[in-house]
Amino acid sequence: MMNQHDDMSTDEIAGHYVLGTLAEEERRQVVVRLSEDQELADAVRYWQERLVGLCDVAEPVEANDAVWERISSSIDQLTASSAPEDETSSSWFVSWWNNLAFWRGFSAAGFACALALGIALAIYQPSSPRYMVVLATPEGHSPGWVVQASNSRKLTLKALGSFEVPEGKALEFWTKADDWDGPVSLGLVEPGQPIQISLDDLPPLEENQLFEITLENYGGSPIGRPTGPIQFIGRAVTPI
Amino acid sequence: MGSRDLVSSEVAAAGSGKRENEPNADNFDYDGCLRACAAGDKSALRALYLRESKQLLGVVTRIVRDRARAEDVLHDAFVRIWRRASTFDASRGGGRGWVYTVARNLALDFVRGAGKHSGSEHQAADDEIDSLADPDDTSRWLEKVGSSHWGGDSARLQECLEQLEPTPRACIFHAYVNGYSQSEIGDLIGAPVGTVKSWIKRSLVALRGCMG
Repeated sequence: MMNQHDDMSTDEIAGHYVLGTLAEEERRQVVVRLSEDQELADAVRYWQERLVGLCDVAEPVEANDAVWERISSSIDQLTASSAPEDETSSSWFVSWWNNLAFWRGFSAAGFACALALGIALAIYQPSSPRYMVVLATPEGHSPGWVVQASNSRKLTLKALGSFEVPEGKALEFWTKADDWDGPVSLGLVEPGQPIQISLDDLPPLEENQLFEITLENYGGSPIGRPTGPIQFIGRAVTPI
Repeated sequence: MGSRDLVSSEVAAAGSGKRENEPNADNFDYDGCLRACAAGDKSALRALYLRESKQLLGVVTRIVRDRARAEDVLHDAFVRIWRRASTFDASRGGGRGWVYTVARNLALDFVRGAGKHSGSEHQAADDEIDSLADPDDTSRWLEKVGSSHWGGDSARLQECLEQLEPTPRACIFHAYVNGYSQSEIGDLIGAPVGTVKSWIKRSLVALRGCMG
């Protein structure tokens, strides 16, 4: 898709975004554009302010005390380990490579990251990888998986830790090069099992190619593109 | 599914009108609060939580239809608010709207990601069409619009929604309050998705014209 918004004005896109009626892909695009498109950002702000009164229609629900405790503890962990997040950092098309907040998060995560890279390099040293990807959580705090490609046709994906996949859910692995229209599924992955993936049907791997793992319903996305939240994300780099 | 229960309780409560024990939220400085969050003042986030967590949880629960999941989303929303407060331009105002967008987007991520809504054309059809889907009954929820913030934009929103045709108004309600996609709304009210799209489009234009 080149631009699905061709037939919509900026104001209409913003209205749909705030209403929640954009398709997932369109919504991702808006999130990306928000950081650089002031007109769109202003329109979104307009609709946010104007429509927020509709929230009063929902009956208030008292939160369990434990919720604040969890929030508080998450905040404390964040404060101890990271710089603030970039607005667009959970989004697909963000250039992570150029995203200072992302790398700041990494350096703040310091030891863990160095350790992960160390493990990755140690594991893959013999095969002299052409590309490597460290897939980190969208917040950039902790690396979770390493993708290694000993040539541009074959990948190995390996988890650095253990993850609990919720019942009825699955982790799906995706990739997208800069000039592709959309992400392509590389299949379902399971924590704890190194996975070999052949890229026979895809163009050769390239520098900066995006990889991510999303949480999908059991069996994977039914529509051939990510529908669930991003769990891990990273881009291909050539190890020095 | 608790959707009908939620909807029913909402309808029942709608008749009771304004909430009397709610503090006047207009005095709360959302923009200043977010600025303080960006500066790392955790007490500001706590204040926001005390102010808005009940209503936010109500909004999120309505969308995700599961109390435990809704609390997870609420947690994630406050963590995201904390982390992204620095990206919110407080000098331009609109802090409360931004906070609700953060929470609603996470709730929508959940329902769309979980496939509870998207791609399940029969989901909405399986739900009994509640009275709120009846365009003639929209006055029951309309009177609650903006009830926590008297005056200003919210009061205007209520007036402007009243001026919409009943069915397009119901589309706006189902999208914003229930978190339904356009195709789900079409299934619910028995209209082609293209018609829903054009109703929503016209409603947005009309609301923009009315609210200024």
